Amino acid sequence: MNPVAHILVIDDEPQILRALRTILTEKKFRVTIANRGEEGLAQAAADPPDIVILDLGLPDMDGFEVCARLREWTQIPIIVLSVRDSERDKVAALDKGADDYLIKPFGIEELLARVRVALRHAARAQGRPESVIKAGKLVIDLPRHVVQRAGAEVKLTATEFKLLAYLAANPGRVLTHQSILTHVWGEAEADHIEYLRVYMRQLRKKLEDDPESPHHLLTEAGVGYRFLIDD
Amino acid sequence: MAALCAFLAFNYFFIEPYFTFIVHHTGDLLVLTVFFVVAAVISQLVGQARSGLAAANAREREATQLYEVSTALSGLQDDRAVAHILAERAMQAFRLERLELSVTGRAPDNAFEFSLPAGRPASRKPERIVPLQTARGLLGEMRLWRLEPMAQPAEERMLHIFASQGAMALERAWLGQADTRARVLEESDQLKSALLSSVSHELRTPLATIKAAVSSLRGGQVPWKSAAREDLLAAVDDETDHLNRLVGNLLDMSRIESGALKPQRQWNLISEIAGGVLARMRQAAQSHRLVIDIAEDLPLVPVDYVQMEQVFGNLISNSLKYAPPHTTIRISARNAEDSNVLVQVSNQGPPVPKEHLDRIFDKFYRVTAADRVTGTGLGLSICKGIIEAHGGRIWAENLTDGFAFNFTLPLLWEGAPPPDLPVDSDSS
Repeated sequence: MNPVAHILVIDDEPQILRALRTILTEKKFRVTIANRGEEGLAQAAADPPDIVILDLGLPDMDGFEVCARLREWTQIPIIVLSVRDSERDKVAALDKGADDYLIKPFGIEELLARVRVALRHAARAQGRPESVIKAGKLVIDLPRHVVQRAGAEVKLTATEFKLLAYLAANPGRVLTHQSILTHVWGEAEADHIEYLRVYMRQLRKKLEDDPESPHHLLTEAGVGYRFLIDD
Repeated sequence: MAALCAFLAFNYFFIEPYFTFIVHHTGDLLVLTVFFVVAAVISQLVGQARSGLAAANAREREATQLYEVSTALSGLQDDRAVAHILAERAMQAFRLERLELSVTGRAPDNAFEFSLPAGRPASRKPERIVPLQTARGLLGEMRLWRLEPMAQPAEERMLHIFASQGAMALERAWLGQADTRARVLEESDQLKSALLSSVSHELRTPLATIKAAVSSLRGGQVPWKSAAREDLLAAVDDETDHLNRLVGNLLDMSRIESGALKPQRQWNLISEIAGGVLARMRQAAQSHRLVIDIAEDLPLVPVDYVQMEQVFGNLISNSLKYAPPHTTIRISARNAEDSNVLVQVSNQGPPVPKEHLDRIFDKFYRVTAADRVTGTGLGLSICKGIIEAHGGRIWAENLTDGFAFNFTLPLLWEGAPPPDLPVDSDSS
């Protein structure tokens, strides 16, 4: 990880900006701030950050739109902050290209963890796509369609593998139900969340130590799933 | 006529000479005349009595019909039901071919119209139009089709009584509805003030802790590296979480109260939802043992994931509060009758007195003294609101060795089970 990663915070609440600037600077990040959408977009273009922390409720434009406009030219990770706990908002932000979301109020450890994951993800995306993904006891060999758990091969069905491969290729990112279903089962099946529920249960049973409290295949309530590499 | 026949018969048979109509004696003539007069008077009286009886019968029928229509209308609270009963009774009473009833009401949203028999519009203009009118104004009208003319004034009178009875019943229904609305508003006002007084107390308690902790940390009274400092910071952290939960509960409660809490149903696994909640609560539940006991083959249920997560969260945190430490809290689920799934969250806590069992789902209801247990008093009523919005039922019961919350959830979504999964094959 870059020791002086640059974080752009776009939020209109001075208290949040003050707290985030203090804490993130303390954590050795370079922090720039913007309190409007247009200003944030201009700053991102002038001084490209490594990661954007974006509030959804901005005075001049919708946070979703900021997401979409950033995605027109950059793939830098976007973490959305929102007081809205509506699942629809989270899904909309993710569909517009956000990588992750955090609901205010959040603990700073939680934010830092998300920032670290996003930065690692970005660093990986810049390099050559990995063909073998390691996560704890799991080794996923994408080209050879082989999955090992603690050294022993795990038999997966074709669909199970496709699902795992899609999740593992986007570690740390929250993937919406819709995007997973479209990717694994196809456009026509994008509403069949029940497939996803059943296959995730099967995958967890085969891959997780405790399928009931998984470490890698995480449920994002009402939104989707996330593959976590870290234990 | 009868008198004349009797007169002639008497003359023919009983007055000499017999078998002729000729009268010889003056005395016989007198007898005959008297007889004729008496016969005429009697027949008149009988005739009058008979028509009197017919009129009395008609009036009785009329009274019965009016009585029936007014009893049928009296108990009704719904304006449409009133109009339908009125129309049906009028059809019978006046032997109508067709009837149209339109209610304009006092606001456009309570206007409606229908016809008996339903369907096909009339081919000709109605024979009669009767207004539905009360002292407060015109409420609508009845249009009647009947081939026989409305001749007798009695029928005419009855028609108007029908109409005015109907109009009064309509008005009564509307007044009743307005009264209900007023009562609901009043109750929600009372709820709001109860809420405000409970909430301001509940909000200030964590704020007081946070303020005290933070100000003592800033003021330098607490050594930089000390257990006290850690304690204070932990208290601030806990209390902000508590405040956040409180605000969330209040929002949810107001959504439930206003009917805005609509479940976003999707096919879900109860075990996945319960597992997620347990993973999230493991920290808070260190003092207890949490167990999930859900069969592998339990079918998918059509529920809102996030709302069900909240139900489990609230039931578990309630169990954590009342069940003694180091006891087990168990989540189990199984198929139940009528295409339902029965979910149970049980603990080994003390039994709840029978009279409280139903009421623990009421807002702000507490079994123990309010100061013993922290919380908003809203958790269980939010559970009830969510379960009922899903078409299920929730109740509490005492077990032989503890206490349990039970709820049911329908297994069918719009009458259908979950679709089958597509066929899968081996990977390699």
